Amino acid sequence: MSLVNLDFAEELKEYSEDTALECFNCGTCAAICPLVHDNFPRRMIRYVQIGARQKILENSDELWRCLHCGLCTHTCPREADPGEIILGLKRFVVANFRRS
Amino acid sequence: MSENNKKVGVYICYCGGNISDHVDVEEVRNRVEKMPGVTVARTNMFMCSDPGQEMIIEDLKSDKIDRVVVASCAPSLHEATFRGAIERAGSNPFIYDHANIREQVSWVHHGETATDKATLLIAAASAKSKLLKPLEPIRVEAKKHTTVIGGGIAGIKTALDIAQKGIEVALIEKLPILGGRLNSLDRLAPFGEKASDILKELLDPVLNHNAITIHTDSKIETIKGYVGNFSLIVTKKENNKDIKLNIETGAIVMATGSVSYTPLNGEFGFGQHEQVITLQDLITLLKENKSSGSSLEVNGKRIKNMVMIHCVGSRQIPGIHQPKENGQLNEYCSRTCCAALLNAANQIREKFPETGIYEMYRDIRTYGRGQEELYEQASKNKVVFMRYEADAPPVVSESNHSEYPLKVKITDSLTFNEVMDVPADLVVLATGIEPDNVSDIASMMKLPIGTDQFLLEVHPKLRPVEFSITGIFLGGTCQAPMDTGETCNAAGAAAVKASALLSKGYIELDPFVAEVNTDKCQGHGACIEACLKEGALTLTEVKIDGKIVKKAQVTAAMCLGCGACAAVCPKKAIDINGWALKQYEDMVDAIVSDGFAV
Repeated sequence: MSLVNLDFAEELKEYSEDTALECFNCGTCAAICPLVHDNFPRRMIRYVQIGARQKILENSDELWRCLHCGLCTHTCPREADPGEIILGLKRFVVANFRRS
Repeated sequence: MSENNKKVGVYICYCGGNISDHVDVEEVRNRVEKMPGVTVARTNMFMCSDPGQEMIIEDLKSDKIDRVVVASCAPSLHEATFRGAIERAGSNPFIYDHANIREQVSWVHHGETATDKATLLIAAASAKSKLLKPLEPIRVEAKKHTTVIGGGIAGIKTALDIAQKGIEVALIEKLPILGGRLNSLDRLAPFGEKASDILKELLDPVLNHNAITIHTDSKIETIKGYVGNFSLIVTKKENNKDIKLNIETGAIVMATGSVSYTPLNGEFGFGQHEQVITLQDLITLLKENKSSGSSLEVNGKRIKNMVMIHCVGSRQIPGIHQPKENGQLNEYCSRTCCAALLNAANQIREKFPETGIYEMYRDIRTYGRGQEELYEQASKNKVVFMRYEADAPPVVSESNHSEYPLKVKITDSLTFNEVMDVPADLVVLATGIEPDNVSDIASMMKLPIGTDQFLLEVHPKLRPVEFSITGIFLGGTCQAPMDTGETCNAAGAAAVKASALLSKGYIELDPFVAEVNTDKCQGHGACIEACLKEGALTLTEVKIDGKIVKKAQVTAAMCLGCGACAAVCPKKAIDINGWALKQYEDMVDAIVSDGFAV
């Protein structure tokens, strides 16, 4: 079980655009994404919305599947800019890298 | 009056193919023409058109006919049209009868059977029409006075609109002040007007209007009478004394309003944690809140995380939600809470940016003008939405954490049903709308109540502010969950209906009511026992040849015209005008003899 945290948005501002809460969870990004992988990138956007910081770090592998083709950003009806958020999350994950 | 010398005109409609595609209209006309008593039989493409009506008027004026039967669509569509035509010809509009050969024939039968059934229905109608009497509408004197029950926004709006039409109003409120639930609201969704401003705008003219008498602290004891002539007994508290008032009134408007659902003890932690409050509580807090910092403060504590839960006491599902003690479940959507909750969330996010908000919803229903914009605004204000299913509601419990007192566990379907803990300093429950309990008043007037416990109108679309009892109307949240704008709409509609009813000082009612043949009546009283409407039939003593005898007497304004009396009278001394027993017998005779009864 994860704890949600609204402060995460503030932490992420350093790495990414602050557009995640524009998303209303329609799933268009996941449908158009050529990776067709387990609700990518929608699930990641959702984790950003609710501030599930740990979930993002645990599932960070997914981020590097992204080809940055831009289809999700292009088709998003809410201008939540999922492509940019994924890019920002990569920066965040790199900055928080820990050798475990 | 003999039924044998009547001249029946039959007018058969093609309905532009609606009827004639399946019924051989000309063949029907040929058959009808030969029926006994039928002097004229004509057809037309559209009998309701001007040329169609003109045929009827011509035949009446030239004395070819003295009874009219139109065979066309359902009488609910054009009965009034053809009665009007007869009136324009200078005849009594009640010499008219209708055969429905569209809904009852051409839309459900085809070919020869359709033609045959149309013939039979017309035969029955023309047999019946021969016994129709020229009737006069029942005229009831009506007091130019309305009583509005309930002094909330619905009641005061209704009272003001009626008074402005020059009709006196008694406005009755059980509490010491007018204004109802708006007194405890603040900025109203979706456009943000202040509830107090709206109330003031209505209350000032209401308090100063000569035609409006206000009775606060008052309770309805009894209601009697009928349209135009109701009488109420009201107990009013004045200077700690109960005084009894008699109010004579022409119409009644129910504006008895609603209450907010009270959560059960333990429902989402309500009653167990002081940080769990209702939306109404939050609105009161916001109204009185003077804090100017960047976080909302409640009881001196900074609110960093606020959880708002939708659909509390609304959209309840049997088997999932726990009914109240009386077994009642609120299965309906209260409609107003989504917008009200979003409205409150926006206010908080805009004034206190460091107070974060989670809204946990089943569905967001921002159905009205300006409401979807509230959702848009809430997204812009970075309100976080989480979604739960009815059978897996959020669970509120103590957090055991020093930074926040409560946690709300949710299975969030927007995060693919992952289970999450949400920290909470305050939990706000969007409690639904329940009708105020007016069962005592409703039973006095026999007003229908729906299974959802709201008062029930005649028809939700066609007669939305009327009860089936003439002269009684309803408006506002006693009828269904409504926001303030919708309530004022309904109140305005009820006011117009009541004003129109009373404007002439008298009311004309359909004359299809019971009539007693006093020669035959022996005063058995069986009819009075059978009568469904208390007061419509009474036994009165009259002097005949020096002897006092009892006779049944009809109060026409109260009679429902149901015929229960006619069915039980051992002497056949009571009958329903327009629907007499003999008319039924003649209709049956016409049908069994294939339309050729003599």
